[in-house]
Amino acid sequence: MRAFAGVDVGSLCTKVVILRGEEVLSWSLRRTGADPVGAARCCFDEALARAGLQEGELGGVVATGYGRLRIPFASRQVTEITCHARGAHFLFPKTRTVIDIGGQDAKVIALDERGKVLDFVMNDKCAAGTGRFLEVMAQALEMEIEEMASEAATALKAVPISSMCTVFAESEVISLVAEGSRRDEIVWGLHRAIARRILGMAKRLPMKGEVTFTGGVAKNRGMVRALRELLGMPLNIPHEPQIVGALGAALLASSTSPSVRAAERLKI
Amino acid sequence: MLRAGGLYRVLRPLLALYLLKERNRPYRIWVSFLCRIFEGAYGRKRPVVWVNAFFPVEAIYALGAVPFIPEIYASLVAYFDLSRGPIALGGTKLSTDLCSFFRCVMGLAEEGVLPEPDLVISSSHLCDGANKFFSELARFYAVDHLFLDPPYGGGDKAKVYLLEQLRYVMEEASRRLGLPLRDEALSLVLHRTRHIWHFMQEVNRLRQGRPSPFAGSEGLSYVAGMAFYSPGSEEGVEFFRALRDHIAVRVRGGKGYLPRERFRVLWLHHIRPYYPNSIFSFLDARGIAVAFEEPNYLWWPEPRPEAPWESLTDKLLCNPWAGPLERRLQAVREMALSYGVQGAIHFSHWGCRQSTGGAVQLGEALKEMGLLYLLLPGDGADPGNYSPGQTLTRLQAFAEMLESR
Repeated sequence: MRAFAGVDVGSLCTKVVILRGEEVLSWSLRRTGADPVGAARCCFDEALARAGLQEGELGGVVATGYGRLRIPFASRQVTEITCHARGAHFLFPKTRTVIDIGGQDAKVIALDERGKVLDFVMNDKCAAGTGRFLEVMAQALEMEIEEMASEAATALKAVPISSMCTVFAESEVISLVAEGSRRDEIVWGLHRAIARRILGMAKRLPMKGEVTFTGGVAKNRGMVRALRELLGMPLNIPHEPQIVGALGAALLASSTSPSVRAAERLKI
Repeated sequence: MLRAGGLYRVLRPLLALYLLKERNRPYRIWVSFLCRIFEGAYGRKRPVVWVNAFFPVEAIYALGAVPFIPEIYASLVAYFDLSRGPIALGGTKLSTDLCSFFRCVMGLAEEGVLPEPDLVISSSHLCDGANKFFSELARFYAVDHLFLDPPYGGGDKAKVYLLEQLRYVMEEASRRLGLPLRDEALSLVLHRTRHIWHFMQEVNRLRQGRPSPFAGSEGLSYVAGMAFYSPGSEEGVEFFRALRDHIAVRVRGGKGYLPRERFRVLWLHHIRPYYPNSIFSFLDARGIAVAFEEPNYLWWPEPRPEAPWESLTDKLLCNPWAGPLERRLQAVREMALSYGVQGAIHFSHWGCRQSTGGAVQLGEALKEMGLLYLLLPGDGADPGNYSPGQTLTRLQAFAEMLESR
């Protein structure tokens, strides 16, 4: 059985997953930086080395993410919307809604029982409610993103944050600090503000079945808490939420490769 | 130089010669029509009346004045990728939250590029900001502004009210411009509009053919332009007759506008991005035909030259994009069924309240019909509001949904 690769070139991080059948052989992750093609190549080589494979041994490579069109070694490009749906469904088959918060955008995806996309909503062109938003706020509060997540997960009270524009929210946060507001309460307020924005997007889709939270921001315990509280339902959190798009891409590479399709037709 | 009427007089035959290689005759007529309009507007041999795109332009033709629709001029400026400067300049006079077509017009006015009006007339239906914006333009050029304010709902009382308004506005225009307003002239104009109406009906019926015989991107550009600008003119009759013939030939030959049509979709909203962008080339490459588009939907009843004022009033009042949303929903449902589409793309133009206001409800109605729906935010005139990556991701995800069905 041949192995397949999924490459997810996101705005902040690039991820690669190598898959054989239903087994993840390896995965790799690094910052995308200013050279998405170079980052993808390094990540790809790293994942191949970990899997003990050569590029020529792969049955196919699907690229996804904002840099998907620039990956020379990919045989096909699929949007992160389809890939996250497929990846989340693979990990949690009862998933009918995916919330994906990445570096520069946020999406809510409705899917069917086969993992196919029924509908989706994306944030508009600004960075509000995304990973980048949280990074800027962490910088404004002079704390690490992990520290911020941890404070948000345990805060008892939230300071309301009115602006969701990254630039205006930053000055609002600085003003709140100057006024003497508690840092954990500001942080919790920021997380709840993002969650409210995501909730607004989610309400435009039929929220049925299980909800799976993917993307780098799903690692943030404060964000998970805020979404759980506001949605009023449990969330599936993958062990490595950041690689779900790459996993979906690898699954699509394997399910659409000619040999696999031929095998399906012959019911092998 | 753009302001010299003579330029368009010279340009018209030159462009006609240049466009001889263009096999699409309707397109050649559109270019010639614009040259004539600009020649008249800049030449100033007859009074120039600025009207907004939704005002019944027939009334201006009947008056013998030159109609100038600034929104269409702005879309041409965007088409030539020249809108950034005027939009930035217009933004110094108007809120940047306002429609970019308006900001572009204001910038062009500031730059002194546009033909000066003798009178400004606008109508408030559909475009809520139109009357205020056109009032501002009238103030800028120090000319009078007349406006129509069609009532929200229909019915007999609304008809009487609007008919009186329309007559009053046109009588005032006649008085202020010193041009006679004769019912016979309006009847003649409506007679032409009736021809246009019949040709449009045939065009729309032919476009139901499979594969789609005519590109929606063109339907959204010069065809929509003529649908706004030409009713009542001789060129309008010529244009829509030529368009009917052009499409009929394609239908008879079983020719689609795409090499291989895989899916059919409806384009919702009156406009598309006019500046260079990759939306339609992407759709073409994926075999997604834009089978029809909202601005070319024939919503108005057959014009009656024997009752021209009533006829124009009916045209204004039964516009499905004005009044309650249910009217637009019904029109869109009808289009979806007539053109056998699998999905619809709603282009949500930044700053446009009248179309984006009901976009979510429209999507719900179409999804209930089992259709896929894409809400595509963007801007018709301002390339600064166009994000290629975000737009492509949405379009590609929509294509993937169509393909996975």
